[in-house]
Amino acid sequence: MTFAQVLTPPSVGWIAIAPEIVLGVGAALILLFDVQYKPKRTHLGLATAAIVATAFAFAIVQYDRVQTLSQATADQAADFVATAFPFDAMIVLDANAVFGRFAMLLVTGLGLAAGWRLFERLGARAAEGLALMLLSATGFMFMASSTHLMMVFLGLEVGSIALYVLAGITRERTESDEAAIKYFLLGSVASAVFIYGVALTYAGSGSMNLLEIQGVLARNIFTRPAVLLIGIALMVVGMGFKVSAAPFHSWAPDVYQGAPGGIVGYMAAAAKIGGFAALIRILFTAFPDFISTWGPLVAGIAALSMLLGSTVALVQDDIRRMLGYSGVAHAGFILTGVVAGGAGTGEVWFYLGVYTVQLVGAFGVVAAVTGAATSGAGIDAFRGLSKRAPFLAATFTVLLLGMAGLPLTSGFVAKFGVFTEAWQAGYEWLVIVAVLASVIAFFFYLRVIVAMYMEEPVDEAVAPPGISVRASLALASLITIVIGIVPGPLLSLAGEASPL
Amino acid sequence: MTLNDYLPLLVMMVLALVFVGAAVLISRIFSPKRPTVEKSAPYESGILPETEPAQRFPVKFYMVAMLFVIFDVEIIFLFAWASRFNDLGWYGIGAVAIFTAFVLETLAYVWKRGALDWNVKHRARYMTAADREAA
Repeated sequence: MTFAQVLTPPSVGWIAIAPEIVLGVGAALILLFDVQYKPKRTHLGLATAAIVATAFAFAIVQYDRVQTLSQATADQAADFVATAFPFDAMIVLDANAVFGRFAMLLVTGLGLAAGWRLFERLGARAAEGLALMLLSATGFMFMASSTHLMMVFLGLEVGSIALYVLAGITRERTESDEAAIKYFLLGSVASAVFIYGVALTYAGSGSMNLLEIQGVLARNIFTRPAVLLIGIALMVVGMGFKVSAAPFHSWAPDVYQGAPGGIVGYMAAAAKIGGFAALIRILFTAFPDFISTWGPLVAGIAALSMLLGSTVALVQDDIRRMLGYSGVAHAGFILTGVVAGGAGTGEVWFYLGVYTVQLVGAFGVVAAVTGAATSGAGIDAFRGLSKRAPFLAATFTVLLLGMAGLPLTSGFVAKFGVFTEAWQAGYEWLVIVAVLASVIAFFFYLRVIVAMYMEEPVDEAVAPPGISVRASLALASLITIVIGIVPGPLLSLAGEASPL
Repeated sequence: MTLNDYLPLLVMMVLALVFVGAAVLISRIFSPKRPTVEKSAPYESGILPETEPAQRFPVKFYMVAMLFVIFDVEIIFLFAWASRFNDLGWYGIGAVAIFTAFVLETLAYVWKRGALDWNVKHRARYMTAADREAA
């Protein structure tokens, strides 16, 4: 074989990365239009929303394509491989990737609307903020749709670096700078840990393609897979950082508290979707036979996250820090579904979908009450909110009860799903810990609701939220209630979303 | 692939550690130490230091250095493509065109934002009136 033969161009499948292309090109166009024509910020916002909507439309087209692919017969195998694994199997078009895009784009749209006031405050930097938001969504979507560890890492970096900058985008505020530098330093360490895990996995299996790794491991019996096991553990740690699971969570409360209020919800939700999407794919696609090895590790992280997140959230007097620690607990709940292995994929995606919507909505309320460009949100600002801003208080109540997992909200269905999967997988002790943690978690969510409805109002008028904020908060609350009463359609959609 | 394949690497790492450690340790043990005021003063090419160093350095070069890195990396990719130009054909041209378009987009953006203007004060002219007021 000559060198030229090695250099055959890879198979190209544009449809498999169409949403990412739309977002990436859209971000570039927004920046160029902004410097050339200096458009109104409202127009920039509408353009960004249109870009997200276009990407969503392409994701629906992809969903249709995946449905067709799933019925492919044996004689269409070559066609199947070309469509499902384009770019030399660097990218994969499967239900897992498409569901990840749905969740990511929904969160981006909601986050844009809920945090719109921040972009108005940013002045000349509004376009930069919007472009960074689109770019981070692009990166995290690539994490969900790649079967190659190098590509997963690239997606992780594109997404994370954009988020570091977004955390510090109100650079006049020292709290914002502090959040950005903390996020950047700790995030870089986590990325380094992850890439070291990738290197060790490559050393142990001879491949960075998850499907090939699975094939190699299925064909060979390794007597000493120590390198591989350390590699898996390091990759889990790296992703555990991104989804703020304990004991790799220390950045989350600080960053959620310091970063500008309008963007925090999106930041938190996007990192969780990207991290879990990659974790699901790595563990379930490449190492399904190693579940007896990584299962206990993930279960331990899950138990620690749930207990630590729920108990520490109890004593927080800052709503944002409280939501940060509750995010740690929720990472633990989602990991409870991950220990079940491939069978729990649908439940994990369902949980991710409903929780990230609640998260963006909850931070949207916080931004509407305490300011979209500021840091911190003391619980005092929420006292008697029901009298000053009934709409905000009502939506916040729905979203908090959804996070707590009250029956008839989406959070209950989600928790029930992951607990069932973990119980069936034989992790009874983990489910008991999880139920205990959910009970503890009820207290701090209720504490905010009590403050809003039963305490005397402070003399602080809340500026009436804009139409986009109200629309996004209403939508997030509506999703929480409707999915809680009729979970069937989303459950079946998430149930299909297992990686190829 | 087994762990045995990594033995040379491990030996290399141990040797490197031993060599560096020994060099530092031996020079610390055997070198004479007779510090004087002159010897412990900061070295400024033999000239006596007269003032404290400035607390804040102008970072005009920072932008230029960062942009340099971007275009430097572009050259790396273009070089690899150019060396296999005939084998890659139109596919290569298409791929590089997409890549170059994005690098050019970066150039256009930083140009219009005034990052290439050496005089920092001039950068105000790249802003709108409202932004100048906010700044």
